Amino acid sequence: MRNLASKAFGVWQFAFMTGLGSLGCAEDLDGQPESCSESDPGPAPIRRLTRVEYNNTVYQLLGDSSRPADAFPPDEEAGGFDNQAAVLVVSPLLAEHYMNAAEDLASAHAPTLVQALPSCLGSTTATNACDGDVEAFLRSFGTRAYRRPLTDDEILDYVDLFHQGTVLGDDLYSVSVGLEMVVQAMLQSPHFLYRVEFGLPESDGDVVALTSYEVASRLSYLLWNTMPDGALFEAAEADLLRTPEQIEIQARRMISTPRAREAVKNFHRQWLHLDDIEPHITASGKNLAVYPDYNDELPMLWRRETEAFLDYAVFEQDANLETLFTAPYTLMNAELAEFYGVTGPTGVEFVRVDLDPSKFAGFLTHAGLLALLAKPDRSSPIHRGKFVRETLFCQPPPPPPASIPEPPSVDESQTTREQFSQHSKDPSCQGCHQLMDPIGFGFEHFDGIGRYRETEWGQAIDASGELTVTDVDGPFDGVVDLAARLASSEQVKDCVAEQWFRFGYGRGPTEEDSCSVDMIQTAFAAADYDIKELIIALTQTPAFRTRHAVYPETP
Amino acid sequence: MSIFLRPRPRLSRRAVLHGLGGLAIGLPLLDAMLGKSAHADGPELPKRLIVMYTPNGAVASNFWPTDPENPTSSAILSPLGLPGVDDHRADLLVLKGVDMLSALSGPGDAHQKGTGHCLTGTELLPGDFAGDSGLSAGWAGGISIDQAVADHIGQDSLFRSLELGVAVQGASVRSRISYRGAGQPLPPENSPYTAYQRLFGDSLGDPMTIERRSARRHAVLDAVADQHTRLSAQLGREDREKLLNHLLGIEAIRARLDQSVLEFGGECLALDQGEPIDPDLVANMPSIGNLQMDLLAMALACDITRVGTLMWTNSTANHVLSFVDPAIVEGHHSLAHKGDEDTVKMHQNTLISTWYATQLAGLITRLKGIPEGAGSVFDNTVILWTNEQSKGNNHDSRGMPYLLAGSAGGYFSTGRTVEFEGDVGHNRLLVSLANSMGIETNEFGNPEFGTGPLPGLTV
Repeated sequence: MRNLASKAFGVWQFAFMTGLGSLGCAEDLDGQPESCSESDPGPAPIRRLTRVEYNNTVYQLLGDSSRPADAFPPDEEAGGFDNQAAVLVVSPLLAEHYMNAAEDLASAHAPTLVQALPSCLGSTTATNACDGDVEAFLRSFGTRAYRRPLTDDEILDYVDLFHQGTVLGDDLYSVSVGLEMVVQAMLQSPHFLYRVEFGLPESDGDVVALTSYEVASRLSYLLWNTMPDGALFEAAEADLLRTPEQIEIQARRMISTPRAREAVKNFHRQWLHLDDIEPHITASGKNLAVYPDYNDELPMLWRRETEAFLDYAVFEQDANLETLFTAPYTLMNAELAEFYGVTGPTGVEFVRVDLDPSKFAGFLTHAGLLALLAKPDRSSPIHRGKFVRETLFCQPPPPPPASIPEPPSVDESQTTREQFSQHSKDPSCQGCHQLMDPIGFGFEHFDGIGRYRETEWGQAIDASGELTVTDVDGPFDGVVDLAARLASSEQVKDCVAEQWFRFGYGRGPTEEDSCSVDMIQTAFAAADYDIKELIIALTQTPAFRTRHAVYPETP
Repeated sequence: MSIFLRPRPRLSRRAVLHGLGGLAIGLPLLDAMLGKSAHADGPELPKRLIVMYTPNGAVASNFWPTDPENPTSSAILSPLGLPGVDDHRADLLVLKGVDMLSALSGPGDAHQKGTGHCLTGTELLPGDFAGDSGLSAGWAGGISIDQAVADHIGQDSLFRSLELGVAVQGASVRSRISYRGAGQPLPPENSPYTAYQRLFGDSLGDPMTIERRSARRHAVLDAVADQHTRLSAQLGREDREKLLNHLLGIEAIRARLDQSVLEFGGECLALDQGEPIDPDLVANMPSIGNLQMDLLAMALACDITRVGTLMWTNSTANHVLSFVDPAIVEGHHSLAHKGDEDTVKMHQNTLISTWYATQLAGLITRLKGIPEGAGSVFDNTVILWTNEQSKGNNHDSRGMPYLLAGSAGGYFSTGRTVEFEGDVGHNRLLVSLANSMGIETNEFGNPEFGTGPLPGLTV
């Protein structure tokens, strides 16, 4: 098996120590895992809802589309994603935001929710009939809020809170205030804000199977970034989310829905830094003397192009990974087509446009990414090369020296390539920059706003590049050539699987996960690297279906 | 008119102060307070700590004063010595030669370490925040000085501390300076409108409404806190800690409900923030910064907090600060990386630091405008201006551009530059700040990088 995380680091350590060598010795020496059914599930830390998940969840739960979490402090980002359990914490500030959001949501939706308490309406005092309605409400609404049935004790506590609330309104007896307070408390409950898991109580040993309700939440937050729907709750209630087959049936149902497309978009936005395109480019702007066609509306269109392309390829074309790199088409609307100087699209909708396959390849030649990996007045081979290394090969470059020498001055009459070539001649820069710049030079046909060019400052573009310390080493010419190489790389495929692991499980792979990683990679390969099949494979592993037993006494 | 904060069950120090009816408190009394805990007996003026953070280093040759007698004798610091209300020469203490030695240790890249260490003085936790060149780190590995001080002097205030930001982007170790403890970052609030609502909103409205809302919140938060307590007892160690930290936030809200609402009066006034503008737009930074500083000053005037941090953007921030000068068209971080021989860019970097100094001058002027005792709130305050590194183009952590403003009630001897030789860890500066706030300690952060206060700073 290929142990991704450790291999990537192995390669780098090797490269760094020898100042660039062959990949040779980095092959994994681990043996095959014994048996996956007995394998370790890896860590499963408690997961706090992200802002995206919070918004989606209150939309599902209450039909609320006000996106209250947009006002929360931003989610902590680690490992390239905003949903990594280890760093998601609740500061006092966020706790206040949770309270305010809960109060606003409860007050906005109480008039609707109170219809579920017919025996309470018009009442001026507590009655048994009203309590019965409240209990029924708690059993239905509470199950959806907690994503599992409430215990009897929890029901009693909430009925008690309801009673307290009925006398804290402006009127002597207010059903609505009682209900609001129940909803407020539920929306601030750790059982709502976190995904709490204990596994099956009857399980023995350290590794326990998850309950069907817990699996329903894992499925819905992985595939949809939101709470379970009615069908998942039904399956959970019938305890039909226990076997890999049962889970797969649900996963296949779910992946063909629009919500899955949103979740995949969320992944791509983070993995490929598409969510940086607008804030980062507009923050620095582009130099209008060099790029007179640039305006601050473009970054939004650029981001949407890449999102639309990936969505179309994965869901309309059942694309595999290779296609994402090499597809000779993209999606544009009229405004973007004008920027690119392409004919075809006439409206605001993004539609497919076929491109010259000798110049363009998949998302790698999209203007947004290339403009993001550029300076305000020129391209940036360093950033582009670093992106390929770090994001596509999962090979973070080695550490720079403790004190970086001062960068040399640049001569603006030279091509970007010449300037950067000079820059990496410095022996102390060379080591790292040889790992990034030669890849980045392959993108030189694309300027600082991502448009194709044949010349720079009147000189012909040289887009020859070289891949080193990868499994697809060798010289190449231009992005189309590079894209084909990336599409054939095992390392890139492993990297994509690893990124999905992080996004899907809210954590990075550990030594314990070798079996799960292997299962994912094997299934991905067996499906000819179909992205949707990779996501389905994520639901079949020990890391997804089981967890370590929870020991409260553990020091 | 005067300020009325009426906590139950006991009177705040500020109320005591006003009860004295403007009694002039002479220096001997101040001297008597030195080195004592804020809980010492007798009338005393509350001390306050403010930290102002700006990123990406400073151009050293334009930062350090040329005249040792005049702390504002440099291009960057000159706005702090303008004639008139902004002449703060006598109130500054420039600290030359202090090194962030901790930044040479532990996980993280230079910016991550510099930011996470700047107020904690200790190594970062290991973790997955991607740094430069494949380095990575987690959150800071210890409590920050502002929070340690808040533990000491902030417990009786409505808000034990206040974290404000101006266009702070990101949510990683590069964008946080304030920590309740290892791995417990406190995010800054970027919106002066949200912050105002948070600080003063509960005090606006008629008393009946406030009373009822408070009773409802109590009941709800009691239920929520019980759930946190019960659940955390069932969890493993790391998850339990996470939930207990969350619970601290809930308890802070509950504690405020138990205290009181604030009454406006005297220097404590409702703020008119004008028509809201977008706090995320870089071009709005000057206006948003002013609103945040207004709010910080008002929070001190109303004595609802005694500890504050103000972050101007974040480390590696690439905001294009063209409002400083129209010629600036490159992001701040990119500019900061230019070589020393690039005089145009060095000039632009200097202009940016100078603009930040102007903001600091404005903050000092605001605090001087709030009367307290025989003087002003500023007399009992110390402001630290910090950065995550000294030099942008080589990530140097030696010779940090540290500046103190205010004497913290006569503790620091200001109006000069103090120069240090050899390895002097910034932990010692953090110790000095702790001491100035009445915390008797010789260590802060990891003592490996220095113990004891910086010598020669006190009166």
